[in-house]
Amino acid sequence: MPQLIVSPDAYDVIIVGSGAGGGMAAYVLANAGAKCLMLEAGSWFDAARDSKWLEWGYDAPHRAAPTPEQPFGYFSATVGGWEIEGEPYTSAPNTEWMWFRSRMLGGRTNAWGRISLRNGPYDFKPYSRDGKGFDWPISYDDLAPYYDKVEELIGVFGSHERLENCPDGKFLPPPGPRCYELLIQKACGKLGIPCVPSRLAILTRPLNGRPACHYVAQCSRCCRLSSNFSSPAVLLVPAQATGNLEIRCDAMVREVLVGPDGRASGVSYIDKKTRQEVQVHGKVIVLAASACETARLLLNSHSRQFPKGLANSSGVVGKYVMDTVMSDVKGFLPSLMDLPPHNEDGVGGMHLYMPWWNYEKQSRHELPFSRGYHIEFGGGRRGVPEPGLLSGSQRFLGGGYGLKFKQGCRKLYGSFVDFHGRGEMLPNDESYCEIDNGVVDQWGIPVLKFHFKWGEDEIRMARHMQETFQEIVRAAGGEVVQSAGPEERRGISRGGECIHEVGGVRMGNDLRTSALNPYCQAWDCKNLFVADGAPFVSNADKNPTLTILALAWRTSEYIADQVRKQNI
Amino acid sequence: MEPKKNLGLNARLERRAILRLMAAMPAGALFSAARSATAAPKELAAELISQEAAAPYQPKVFNPHEWKTVHTLSGLIIPADERSESATATGVPEFIDDWLDLQRGDLLSTIRGGLAWLDIECNRLFGTDFIASTAGQREQILDRIAYPKKAALEDASAVAFFNQFRDLVVSGFFTSETGIKDLPYLGNEPQSDWEGCPAPVLVKLGLVGKHTG
Repeated sequence: MPQLIVSPDAYDVIIVGSGAGGGMAAYVLANAGAKCLMLEAGSWFDAARDSKWLEWGYDAPHRAAPTPEQPFGYFSATVGGWEIEGEPYTSAPNTEWMWFRSRMLGGRTNAWGRISLRNGPYDFKPYSRDGKGFDWPISYDDLAPYYDKVEELIGVFGSHERLENCPDGKFLPPPGPRCYELLIQKACGKLGIPCVPSRLAILTRPLNGRPACHYVAQCSRCCRLSSNFSSPAVLLVPAQATGNLEIRCDAMVREVLVGPDGRASGVSYIDKKTRQEVQVHGKVIVLAASACETARLLLNSHSRQFPKGLANSSGVVGKYVMDTVMSDVKGFLPSLMDLPPHNEDGVGGMHLYMPWWNYEKQSRHELPFSRGYHIEFGGGRRGVPEPGLLSGSQRFLGGGYGLKFKQGCRKLYGSFVDFHGRGEMLPNDESYCEIDNGVVDQWGIPVLKFHFKWGEDEIRMARHMQETFQEIVRAAGGEVVQSAGPEERRGISRGGECIHEVGGVRMGNDLRTSALNPYCQAWDCKNLFVADGAPFVSNADKNPTLTILALAWRTSEYIADQVRKQNI
Repeated sequence: MEPKKNLGLNARLERRAILRLMAAMPAGALFSAARSATAAPKELAAELISQEAAAPYQPKVFNPHEWKTVHTLSGLIIPADERSESATATGVPEFIDDWLDLQRGDLLSTIRGGLAWLDIECNRLFGTDFIASTAGQREQILDRIAYPKKAALEDASAVAFFNQFRDLVVSGFFTSETGIKDLPYLGNEPQSDWEGCPAPVLVKLGLVGKHTG
């Protein structure tokens, strides 16, 4: 039996997780003078050394294509995936759920899409607006100053549009649109769909010692020069420079320890390299392990004082897990064929996007679903060619082989555009996680069992996405080549597939129906805080990372303030 | 056709400039106490390349006869022309073998089954297998299965095979160093600035004067 190690140091703050939320907590609290320990379940990652920036697919295994071990391909700065050996999860019958977990310093911020959209005023009070779901205990005005600060720190490009419920921010100038994006923008104009510069956490101007983008469309590889936002480069490096942050990787936290006074006293983790259990003690505990991992940790931290798990007297921990509704359509645009060769890489993401445009219609109940979605799109000649390019070419070239076929492929290159909807899911009682008492992972920690169900609202939204994207393709003079009919699960993604899972440890005004107060402090344990996506009460179509960062900053300032006032 | 030219050339940033930028980072790493547990990808790639150079490629899924057929067929689908070499000369058979080894399942059965069909059909019609047939005989067979809309119903499974095989050849060729230059894909080159959609393309798309955003 391995010996239990009790770490002799005591910390002001122990932060579990190093992604957007944990990184921001470390940045704010280390700068405030707190002695912080960060525990990360994955391995060390330093983009300046480990990024596969500028490498070619023909030098990589399988031309860098996705494999079960690397679901986004060889180049992606992802360690982890929907399946991790030795770390299973289970699902209830009839539940289709995919749980993505990062296992690396910085978590998902290394490879994410950098899409940085603010939640708008409606998004914090959705129940008040349409009677569905729940309101947040905070409003847009509470978070707006933190959105400002986050954008100024990390660097987000965008444009001032004054659109309904899509607040403008502190933007760097956006990059000019690509050719295919202009073509789609024109088509959207005909349909009355706004198509505006996207908002991505990528530098188009130097900022805080980080150089501007070099436009090789490789943000998912994580930028070797830190021209895009990732937690290690933008938050952890300056936090470490204060001398107040210690980072331990390969540390899989299993439990929050509780003292006789009912306060959190530290955490117990498994050192993955030695398989030994280690206990560390701290005055404040911040959980930012990712939404469902944080819920799991709380549920596994049960004791005589807290038999249902820590921070769970309400019974709400694990409940109201949400993902984002996704649906895709691909179009072929003949006008993009045989264009003069040009470099269309740009930044590692779209230069234009379509924010939700039907708030008015919905307030008049003219659509068969309640919430909004935005449209992301890609295509053209962007990115290093990957296996699968020009697949199904016989549909456009009539088939063939030989010199004429080879010439046909050259003309066809770059003439496809793909559309991806990202829509809001209403929280529901049938989507939650709980501990599966019959199964443990290889570290001996009981695993999560998932229950998940899309509501009718989401299924109708996905159908609307399908119809809209197909209209856009046709308005651009194109032909729809991939879409989903009603028979194909109505075109909706699987739960967890979008990797936007949030909720599970929601905040609120009422300790009977929420686990956390409006500052993401546990009602039941006042030196315990949550700083990832778990406190989310709803999951607007706006991708969660920017809101996680803003909320974590606000929570961390509150922690520093409460410590100063000796309230914790 | 427009003359081939790199419209992004002026904005290109020299690789040397990038290396200087990277060298300016402390100890080539973001963190002062840099520790890396991951294998250096460049070394891995170099190792793979040197292994390739040292010994001829050993197919993982194809037998020697299939391997020859794959070479012949790849070269017929994408032959050499004045702009680039053939699929066979650019490592497409090796790509296909490795890809099928990775994917396995139905795709592998479809491809092997299709290769067998080529021989069976050639033997039936010409008394010899596909690779030993004359150029004219091969064309006669391929013309039956390479144009889905014109193909006979009884050749449907061979058409499905050829669609899949042609896709594999296209994938392998246009992701090779030669194929990428052939397209041409002009990216993966650091730029000092982003200039948006170039004027000649705007003109061709009829978007001049309507630039927004």
